[in-house]
Amino acid sequence: MRRVALRGLLARKTRLALTALAVALGVMLIAGTYVFTDTINSSFDRIFSVSLQKIDVVITPDTDLSGDDGTTVPLDASLLRKARAVDGVRTAEGSVSDQNGTVLGKDGKPVSQQGAPMIIASLNGPAFESLNVADGRFPKTADEVALDKGTADKEGFKLGARISVQGVAPRKRYRLVGLTTIGGVPSLGGAAFATLTLAEAQRMTGKQGRFDAIDIDGDPGVDPRQLTARVRQISGRGTVVRTGRQEAQSQSDDIRSNLSFLSTALLAFGGISLFVGAFIIFNTFSITVAQRAREFALLRTLGASRRQVLRSVLLEGLAIGVLGAAAGLGLGIAVASGLRALFKSFGIDLPSSGTVILTRTITVSLIVGILVTLIACVVPALRATRVPPVAALREGVALPETRHSRLAFPLALVLTAIGVALLVLGLFVASGATSALSLTGAGAAVTFLGVALLSPRLVPPIASLVGAPLQRLFGLTGRLARENSVRQPGRTATTAAALMVGVALVCFAAIFAAGANKTIADAVDSGLRGQVILQNQAGFGAFTPAAGAAVKQIPGVEVVSPVRGATTRVQGISGKEALAGIDPAGFQRVYRLTVVKPRTPGRNAIRDLPDNGLLVETGYADDHKLKLGDPVALKTPRNGLLRVKVSGIFKDKGQLVGSLVVSNRVLQQQFGVDRDQLTFIGLTGGRENPAVKRAIDARLARDFPQVEARTAAQFTQDQRDQINQLLGLIYALLALTVIVALFGIVNTLVLSITERTRELGMLRAVGTSRRQVKAMIRLEAVITAMIGGVLGIVLGVGLSLLVTRAIDDFSIAFPVGTLVVVLIASGVAGVLAAILPARRAARLDVLEALAYE
Amino acid sequence: MIVTATDIKRRYGAGEAAVEALRGVSVAFPKGEFTAIMGPSGSGKSTLMHILAGLDRPTEGSVLVDGTEIVGLDDNALTQLRRDKLGFIFQSFNLLPVLTAEENILLPLSIAGRDPDREWIRRLIETVGLGDRLTHRPAELSGGQQQRVAVARALASRPSVVFADEPTGNLDTKTSADILTLLRRSVDEFGQTIVMVTHDPESASVADRLLVLRDGLLAEDSAGVAAPVVAPAGQA
Repeated sequence: MRRVALRGLLARKTRLALTALAVALGVMLIAGTYVFTDTINSSFDRIFSVSLQKIDVVITPDTDLSGDDGTTVPLDASLLRKARAVDGVRTAEGSVSDQNGTVLGKDGKPVSQQGAPMIIASLNGPAFESLNVADGRFPKTADEVALDKGTADKEGFKLGARISVQGVAPRKRYRLVGLTTIGGVPSLGGAAFATLTLAEAQRMTGKQGRFDAIDIDGDPGVDPRQLTARVRQISGRGTVVRTGRQEAQSQSDDIRSNLSFLSTALLAFGGISLFVGAFIIFNTFSITVAQRAREFALLRTLGASRRQVLRSVLLEGLAIGVLGAAAGLGLGIAVASGLRALFKSFGIDLPSSGTVILTRTITVSLIVGILVTLIACVVPALRATRVPPVAALREGVALPETRHSRLAFPLALVLTAIGVALLVLGLFVASGATSALSLTGAGAAVTFLGVALLSPRLVPPIASLVGAPLQRLFGLTGRLARENSVRQPGRTATTAAALMVGVALVCFAAIFAAGANKTIADAVDSGLRGQVILQNQAGFGAFTPAAGAAVKQIPGVEVVSPVRGATTRVQGISGKEALAGIDPAGFQRVYRLTVVKPRTPGRNAIRDLPDNGLLVETGYADDHKLKLGDPVALKTPRNGLLRVKVSGIFKDKGQLVGSLVVSNRVLQQQFGVDRDQLTFIGLTGGRENPAVKRAIDARLARDFPQVEARTAAQFTQDQRDQINQLLGLIYALLALTVIVALFGIVNTLVLSITERTRELGMLRAVGTSRRQVKAMIRLEAVITAMIGGVLGIVLGVGLSLLVTRAIDDFSIAFPVGTLVVVLIASGVAGVLAAILPARRAARLDVLEALAYE
Repeated sequence: MIVTATDIKRRYGAGEAAVEALRGVSVAFPKGEFTAIMGPSGSGKSTLMHILAGLDRPTEGSVLVDGTEIVGLDDNALTQLRRDKLGFIFQSFNLLPVLTAEENILLPLSIAGRDPDREWIRRLIETVGLGDRLTHRPAELSGGQQQRVAVARALASRPSVVFADEPTGNLDTKTSADILTLLRRSVDEFGQTIVMVTHDPESASVADRLLVLRDGLLAEDSAGVAAPVVAPAGQA
C-alpha cells in the first residue's frame, strides 16, 4: 500500500512539485524569518558581549521610562565620585553614548537617512574601551573624531577628512583621525559610530557633567556580583547596576524584544501563505481523489480496508508535507539574506554576521509545514475511504454525495457568522493588544474559511457576471470557458478562494493605508495653525532645542513652539503612556486643541496651564473616568511621582500631541527632557512665506543638519511616504500569498484538463483549433481568478470597514483606482497561471485523446 | 458449497420509480466449479454477482460464503472477507499503472500484510506465462498480458471463489481464448471456484455450468433449475 501511494506521487511529478510548492513558500517565509532574526540577534549578542567584556560592573539610568528613541535621563557626575569610593572598585569611568547624533556624509546629508541610528560616543580609557582602531588612532583633542570603518568606507572618508557632526550642540567639523572596528566587525549593525573625547562628547550631546553609563573595574579577586551589590547601595533611585555580562544580556534582550514585533509580523505573513497553501493542497487532493476513485475501489475489492485507503492518502500528504517543508526550510535559509535586502530597500538596515540556523528553526518549519499539509488532506482522504468497492466494476464513477456536502452550506453560514463575531469581539470588545490582535486574526481566518465554503454557491452568479463580457468577446470559446468554470463549482470556488485571501488582504491594506493617509491629511488640516514644522530628518526622534531658538531669530518668524515627549506610568492605570510637553503661552497660535472643559470665559485651560496642571484628551478621560480637578500621579524616570490635577480636557483633531499634556518646564524638571520632538512655527501674518522658509532651511543646513523644516503639505507628504513605504513592504509579503494561489490555479487547470482529455479530443476532432483550445483554458483561468478577485475585494472592503470603525477618529477613504487595478491584475494573473495548462491542452494528440481511458 | 444464495431480491429506488433488479434468485456454487452467468442487459446478472461478492446488499435474502452469512456484515468484516476469500477479475483489467506486473500480482497479499507463498506465486506466474514480463508496467503490456496479470492477481491469495466480470470483454478473439483457457486450467489444476459474468456464449462454453438470468429471475440452469448439484454438469 505504501508503495502504491509513493509510486503514485512520483508518477505525477509536476503535480507533486506544484503541491509541495504551496507549502514550501509559506514555510520559506517562516524559516527565513527565524534565520533572519536569529542572525541579527546573534550579531548584536556578539557586539554587546565584546563591548562589555572589559567591564565588571556598569551603572546605567533606568530604561523603564526611556523615550521612544531610547533616550534616558543621564547620570549625574557626582555618582562617579561615589562609585570610585566603593570598596573593591579599582577604576571607574563615566561615558557618553547618544543615539540622537547626526554625522554628515560627503554630500552634506546625514549618512543614515532612515532607520539606523547615528551614535555619538565618548572615548573610554584603555581599561574599558571596546573599539579597536583599524587605521589611525583615537581622538585626542576636541577637534578630532574616530568613525566606524563601515561608515567611513561607505562614504569614502579617508583619514584627515573633515567630518561634520551635530548633536545638541550645533554642527561642528572634526578631523577624522581613526577608523574603528568592534569585535573585528567594521560596523555596529549598520549604525554610524562617531567617537569623540569625553568632554567633547558631553558638550556635543548636551550632557556636560553627566554620563550615560559609569563603567567599573573591580580590584583583582573581587566578585563582580558582590561588587554590583555594593555599588547598588550608593547608586540611588532611577539607576540600574549590573555586571558587564548582565548588561550585555539586557541589551541583547532589548534588541530581541524590539525585533520580536518584526518577526511576529513576518511569521504572520508566513502563516497567511500557509493558510492559502492549505486551500491548494485541499483542492489538489480533492480532485485527485475524485479522479482516482476507481483505483481506490480496486484496492478495496482486493481487500484493502477503509483505514488502509485513508492511510495511503495521508501518506501521500505526509510525503508532500515533508518535501514541501524541507524545500521551504532550504529556501528560507537562502532567502534570509534576501529578506534583509528587502528590508534594506525599504530603509530598514539590520546587521548580519554569519547565518544562524537554530534547531528551533528546523523543527518549527518542518512541523508546521507537515501539519498544515496533513490537515488539508484529511477531508479528501476521508472522502477516498467512502468510495464503494463496487465502483471498480463500473465505468465513470462519481464520488457519492455525502451528508457532509449537504451540511456544507449551513456550516459555511455558521462559520462566516462566527468569524465576523470573532472579528467584532477582537475589534470592539477585547482589551489588551495581544488578545485583540489574535481574536481579530482568528476572526479573519474563520471568515475566510466560511466564505470559501460559501463560495460554491457564489461561483455561478459571479462566473456569469465576469463571463458575460468574455462570451461576447470570444464567442463560443468564451462560453465554453464559462460553462467549464461552473461545472464543478466547489473546485472553482476553492481555487478562487485561495486567491481571494491574498486579494482581500491587499485590498484591506490599500484601503487602510488610504484611510490613514486621509486621517493624517485631515488632522494636519484641522490641527495645524502654524506654517512650518521642524522635525528630526530621520522622521522621528528628538532634536536640539537650539534649532528652534536659532530659527526664532529669523525675520518673519513670529512664534516657535516646541512639543516634547516623555514616557510615564499613570498611577492606577496599567501600561506606559506618552506624555507630551508644550509651551502653554504660544501653543494655540500654532496648533489647535479644542478645550472641552472647562469652558470658563476669560481663562484658557491651555494658555494658563499651571505647573501642577495636566491636560487630558477626551477619549483618554472617558476611558479612565478622569474628571476635571481629579488628582493624577505620574511616575518620573527617577522613580519619583509627579502629582498633578486635571486642569483641562481637550479634543485633538490633529492627533499630534497624544493623550496627556503638561508644560515643557515640568517635563524638563521632572522628566529631564530637554530636546524637542516637533516644533511648530508660526510666520508673520499667519501665511506661508517661501522666502522665510528658504531662510529657515539655510539656517538649519548651516548649523543643524539633523533638523528639517517642513511645510504642512510636506509634513503630510512625509507621513504619507512612510505609510506607502510600509504598504509596499506589505504588498511584497502578500505577493507570496498570491503566488501560492496562482500555483493553485495552475494545479486545478492541469487536473481538470487531464479529466477532460476525451472532451478536448472531441473538440479538436470537430475542428477546434489549437489556439481556440488555448484561449478556452486561458479564459477559464481568467474567470476563476476574477472570481477570487471579486470575492477578495468584497471581503477586503468589508474587513476594512469593520476595522477602521474600531479606531477612533479614523477617516475612511476608498482607493477606487487601486481596487480596479487589483481586479484587472487578478485577471492578468489568471492568464499567467494558464500558460502551462493551456500549452498542455493544446498539445494533446486528437486521436490519443479520444482513445484515452 | 462455497457460495449459497437464497431467495435474493434487489430493488433499486422506491415507489413508482422502483426497479426490481432481482426478484428472488436462489443458487449455490460448489467448490471447484466454473460457472458462467449469462443474460441480456438488465437481466440482473451483474447485480447478482455484486451481491454474491458482498459489493452490493440484497433487499431481501441471504448469501453464505464459505459458511459465513455476509448479508448485514459491516465494512470491516466485508473487507476481511474480500481479503481472505474473494478474488476479482475485471473487464478493464484494473491494474495499478504505477506498479510493475509482479507488484500488481502481489498487491492483495501486501494489502493484507501477508507474506507470499513463493512456491505458489512461482507456479502461478509460470501458469499465466508472464515470466519475462514481471518488471514491466501495465502500460508496457498488451491487453491480453494485462489480463493475465489480473488473473494471477486474483489467484494469488488462493481465494475461495473468484468473480470475473466480463473478463474477455476488452480482448480480441485469440486473446480471449487464451484467458478462458487460463481460467479453465485454474479450475482443473488448482481446484479454483470461478463465477464469471459474460454475454458471450463462446466464453460461457468453457464453464462447467451455465446460469441464464432473465428479468431478475433465474431462467435456466444447466445443472437443473435452482437445484444445487455437486457434480459438474459438463459443457452447456
